[in-house]
Amino acid sequence: MAKTGTPYDIEAVRKEWVGKQTEPVPGRYPVEYDPIRRHCHMIDDDNPLFLDPDYAAKTRHGGVIAPPVMADYFAGQGIWPPSEDGPMLLREVPTPGDRMVNLINEFEYIRPIKIGERLSSYQVLADIFHKPTRLDPISTWIVSETHIIDEAGKVVAIGRNTLLTHRPPEEVAADPNGTGGSK
Amino acid sequence: MTRKTHTQLYFEDVNVGDELPGFTVKLDATRMVKQVSGSQDFYEVHHDTAFAQAGGHKDIFYNTGWTRANLGRLLTDFVGDEGWVKKMRFEMRRMNMNGDTMKVKGKIAGKRPETNEIDIELWAENDREGITTPASATVTLPGKG
Repeated sequence: MAKTGTPYDIEAVRKEWVGKQTEPVPGRYPVEYDPIRRHCHMIDDDNPLFLDPDYAAKTRHGGVIAPPVMADYFAGQGIWPPSEDGPMLLREVPTPGDRMVNLINEFEYIRPIKIGERLSSYQVLADIFHKPTRLDPISTWIVSETHIIDEAGKVVAIGRNTLLTHRPPEEVAADPNGTGGSK
Repeated sequence: MTRKTHTQLYFEDVNVGDELPGFTVKLDATRMVKQVSGSQDFYEVHHDTAFAQAGGHKDIFYNTGWTRANLGRLLTDFVGDEGWVKKMRFEMRRMNMNGDTMKVKGKIAGKRPETNEIDIELWAENDREGITTPASATVTLPGKG
């Protein structure tokens, strides 16, 4: 998100941003064993299909696959080192506040993802609107889609995310309705 | 390594209303660190108490990637090597925080024999908030035929 000052013109932002689509950007690294291991460690998942190459080789998959929920991880850049690559929509769309809470997440997993694959992704901004919350009367909601594709350009997974953005309490207290002081 | 226990389920083995084997997770500082490591989500609201409270939250809380991973684990455990998780939807309605004991549960909501698809209602809950993360999913299991 790109924080803007107030007043904030939601209709102007909608007109400019809804429907915008980024170009596909490759993930930083191929699908690898160790991020899968760390993912499984954080949730105590001992599934050998994700962890044990010898076991997985004997299954219908022929080798280790990533947990389906990791598709977007391998299509992304990771948090560090900082990268200017990757779909930038959510970093660029203007919002009144710079705080955010992830709320609704929908995913469709088309096929298993194997070690060594290279994934890319592009984003589409599906919607942006105001809906008040207890955090901020001008809470701003962003709905985006992430399409994850393989090296052939075929979609392997689709994510749809609804993100709540809001201002911190001191900014809300100073200007609750985001009018910038105007009546 | 060997898995704890796993028996491949088939489409014919399960019925609407059946409960999935759930699991329980105690949430503490070590789990929070694993959350950041595994998800690579370094947004301070998930590990910096002062930052979270300055944003109007009671305390740090567990992130979306971690929550999604737990819901996904319930499903991948259920479908085994031969099944597949086709769709999942969840809402981060309430928070799981350190000190909570989170349970991940599910039950079968529907079956479609023509596609071997099974609809599942699943959720995460804790004693403090009740259901924190309602979810739904569609998975497939292999048939016996």
